[in-house]
Amino acid sequence: MSAFEFDTLVWHWPIAIYLFLAGVSAGAMFFAVMLKHGCLKEKAYQSGFVIAACIVAAISVLAGLGVLVLDLTKPFDFWKILVFYNPTSVMSMGVIILMLYQVFMYAWIIITFKKPIDDLCKNRFPIVVKLTTLIARYEAGITGLLVIFSVSLGAYTGFLLSAQPHFPMWNTGVLPLLFLTSGLSSGAAASLLGGVLLKGNPNGAEVRFIHKIEIPLILGEILLMFTFFLGLVFSGGQSKVAAFNAIGVGFWGFVFWFGIMGLGLSAPLAMNLFMTATSKRKFSYVAGTACLSLLGVILLRNFILYTGQMITS
Amino acid sequence: MENSRRHFLKSTCALVAGVSVYPLSGNNANAEMEPDINNIKYALLYDETKCIGCNACVEACREVNNVPEGVSRLSIERTGPFGEYPDQFYHFSRHSCEHCENAPCVTVCPTGAAFIDKETGIVAVNADRCVGCLYCIAACPYEVRFINPVTKAADKCDFCRETNLKQGKQPACVEICPTKALVFGNLKDPESELVTLLKANPTERFKQDLGTRPKIFRIKAKQGEIIL
Repeated sequence: MSAFEFDTLVWHWPIAIYLFLAGVSAGAMFFAVMLKHGCLKEKAYQSGFVIAACIVAAISVLAGLGVLVLDLTKPFDFWKILVFYNPTSVMSMGVIILMLYQVFMYAWIIITFKKPIDDLCKNRFPIVVKLTTLIARYEAGITGLLVIFSVSLGAYTGFLLSAQPHFPMWNTGVLPLLFLTSGLSSGAAASLLGGVLLKGNPNGAEVRFIHKIEIPLILGEILLMFTFFLGLVFSGGQSKVAAFNAIGVGFWGFVFWFGIMGLGLSAPLAMNLFMTATSKRKFSYVAGTACLSLLGVILLRNFILYTGQMITS
Repeated sequence: MENSRRHFLKSTCALVAGVSVYPLSGNNANAEMEPDINNIKYALLYDETKCIGCNACVEACREVNNVPEGVSRLSIERTGPFGEYPDQFYHFSRHSCEHCENAPCVTVCPTGAAFIDKETGIVAVNADRCVGCLYCIAACPYEVRFINPVTKAADKCDFCRETNLKQGKQPACVEICPTKALVFGNLKDPESELVTLLKANPTERFKQDLGTRPKIFRIKAKQGEIIL
């Protein structure tokens, strides 16, 4: 049985990319809202980190959907997913979440960048100003729903895999939570990386604010990882076999211990703690930490996707 | 302001949680309670002790249902030989759709392309509706679904629902079996050969612990080897 080709493999790496991109989008939007309401308030539109988060969220969700559509055996029939719904299907519910999420995402971005948009359109297209004012009136509701839908989207990527009864690594309630926390931390990392690349201050209030949330998030992720595998081992039977297959020796075991636990979680945690202690943050440090976090989450998605399908029937 | 937002968040959370769990509640447990329109629930009995592994069923299925080369709705898995000459024998096992009462493929299908026909209990696929997301293929515990290379839609055994059954005949595999190892019939008909045989023989169904309630019953052949 090779690491990327085996009999029981149905979903290949494009699905892992999609799961990653959806998680990044949900996480970036979540942190954009947190940054605006917990840190920057009305000045949010001036922050490189909020701009980066919005760009990342908007592009990654579209790119993820693109990957998903191209991965269908009938890509031109993708619209049928939007027309026909099955209330018992997690994927169907996910499509609804994805659509509503995007509506509230764009509305929130318009509200947040209302001032520059209005300045740009004041003279030529006064109708745009009317429109943004209309949307801005519902800011509280749109923000609340956006938070709910971004969290739902982050968890949905896990539920998508959970719904399959004979894959013990997937069919557990911890998986959606694990995917949610790792998705949120990847969103935070992508916003930080984009922010410093857009000339945001690596020692600014935004970075401190995000790092304050990121540290408990990584600790929570490690705890969930522990719960996830210990839960599988204690369930016994095929679950136990699957757990030891995944994190034991071999290619995926190496990916887990070195890539995910080492580079993806421990290293960013140590660097975050170091930055908090020294109180001086540099571009290279913030960018490096963010890159490691993102790498860890991509590896985690691939690891869960592939090892989850390695079953002995 | 702060208060109303909190109130709004709380009530929306409750609503979202309620809406998302509701569809799961009524569906699975009460499948038995659903009214049967024709009082038909098809099932298949496969007698491993009679199967000689001739593969006539596989070929008949391919021909009747127009299954392209490279994929198959039905296959016979052969293990062995076991024992010492002249007491050697093979073990045969049927690999095809199990027609679950509670089918994971139907639950997960986002477009409703995978469905259980209410009139017959057959798990079927509407190829036009299918977009090819592979969710059903991943979700099937019996690994019997595949993508039809011609239609690009998910495909599998449907007890010849659209071919032989429609013409009032038995499924192709049952019709052709030279040793009568396959018996197809209506579980709701107590007089049927199927129910009579099921009552008279100890049978097994695959992976019952998953709660899928498959409708392929098997009379097991003796084990070839002892594996722990």
